[in-house]
Amino acid sequence: MKLTANSVLFKVIYVLFSVLILSACSGGGEEDSTLEIPDSVKNAPTQKMKQVGQAVIDDLVQNVSSPIEMAALIKKAGVPFSKDYLSDPDLVDKYNSTFDKALNLGVYGADLGYLNMYNKTSLIINHITTIKKLTEALKIGQFFDFSTLKRLASNNENLDSLMYISTSSFNKMDRYLRESNRSNASTLMVAGVWIEGLFLATQVADKVKTKEINERIAEQKISLNDLIIVLKVYNNEPGFGELIGYFEEIKSAFDPIKIAVEMGEPEMIENDKGELIIKQNDKQTVTIPEGQMEKIIEVTARVRNLVIKK
Amino acid sequence: MKRSNVIILSLVLFLVSSFAFGQCGDELVDNCASDIGDATYLKDFRVKLEKAEKNKPAPVQRISVVLNKGTTYKFSVCDAPEYDGKAIIQLYDTSRLLGSSLNMSTGKLFSEFKLDCSKTGVYYIFISFQDGNEGCAAAILSYVEQ
Repeated sequence: MKLTANSVLFKVIYVLFSVLILSACSGGGEEDSTLEIPDSVKNAPTQKMKQVGQAVIDDLVQNVSSPIEMAALIKKAGVPFSKDYLSDPDLVDKYNSTFDKALNLGVYGADLGYLNMYNKTSLIINHITTIKKLTEALKIGQFFDFSTLKRLASNNENLDSLMYISTSSFNKMDRYLRESNRSNASTLMVAGVWIEGLFLATQVADKVKTKEINERIAEQKISLNDLIIVLKVYNNEPGFGELIGYFEEIKSAFDPIKIAVEMGEPEMIENDKGELIIKQNDKQTVTIPEGQMEKIIEVTARVRNLVIKK
Repeated sequence: MKRSNVIILSLVLFLVSSFAFGQCGDELVDNCASDIGDATYLKDFRVKLEKAEKNKPAPVQRISVVLNKGTTYKFSVCDAPEYDGKAIIQLYDTSRLLGSSLNMSTGKLFSEFKLDCSKTGVYYIFISFQDGNEGCAAAILSYVEQ
């Protein structure tokens, strides 16, 4: 067949427009129409969701600090890295249910934040391999850029990118789960991040006494209350009742902690460099009764070890 | 190839590249996150809002986050170039406005601001577009090591 320049050009244009239209319809590549519908979606707890609206769930789920912040605080306190604090990647074979997979994806996510903070690239590869397994099982593997993370970790290069891609992958997975009516899995992932972050901090607090870490642990009381509210939305689903029970035990240990705030007048300042800075000027006081931190450390370790099935 | 064909092909390639790289999504977030300097990325938020209806307030998106005492946070925003809207970030605690990327007294709009956080708790980020224009933006929450 003889092709003229015009017919070739027409075909090029046709193909390019087809690609263009398909890519525009795919929502930036975040959705995959070939994905199977997980059981958790088919059995979505619609009645409960009506009582606590999706927007409220989104808000409450967001109200958990990033594990990176806790890891940064630990590192800033001069506490050396310890592999013993981490959940063993080999435990992954014990996580057979969607519930355990989502929960422990969060646990490994928090550990990955801790590893990234200390630039432990050799250990990162084991963790990201485990995380890849879990994300594929949960059908969110498309948001975890394993090959790039592995390359960056293997070559010990561009550690900022390693940290960014790790953190943003978890944010994308969380967003996708919530947007695709799988907020129960998102909640479990966030609960896993939270318990592991608290575990890391309490393990450090058990060995090194610093006011900053003790206060940050005590302040988890705020996130915990929100987390329990969201978990209760799914109370009728398998596994949630037990997990709520564990988190209620932790809550009891946090109850005697008092957090008081004296309001100040916020100021907006434009400094010499032309940067805009808000100074909040509130004064927060955290009171931890004698012996209470020890109780928090004990119950957190017990619950976390139940979560990871150690 | 005829000159007219070259022009058509160039136009098509331009359109394709605009869609591929200018869309209001991951690309915008990644570019915005790469521009936060020494700060460490924590979260991103994507905002796409319609043009305000006549005589009605500008649409706004509300996002809640927990911020921690003793940490300096940076809030950065990047506008998608294919929209007119320039994003404004306002930060509230549970009861009041703490600050905004728009300096009301000078009218200067900042693409980022920092918060020296002195109270752990829930905060609300409100994002709208100046003059109620249609817009798309990526906002990045990061922390600055002291």
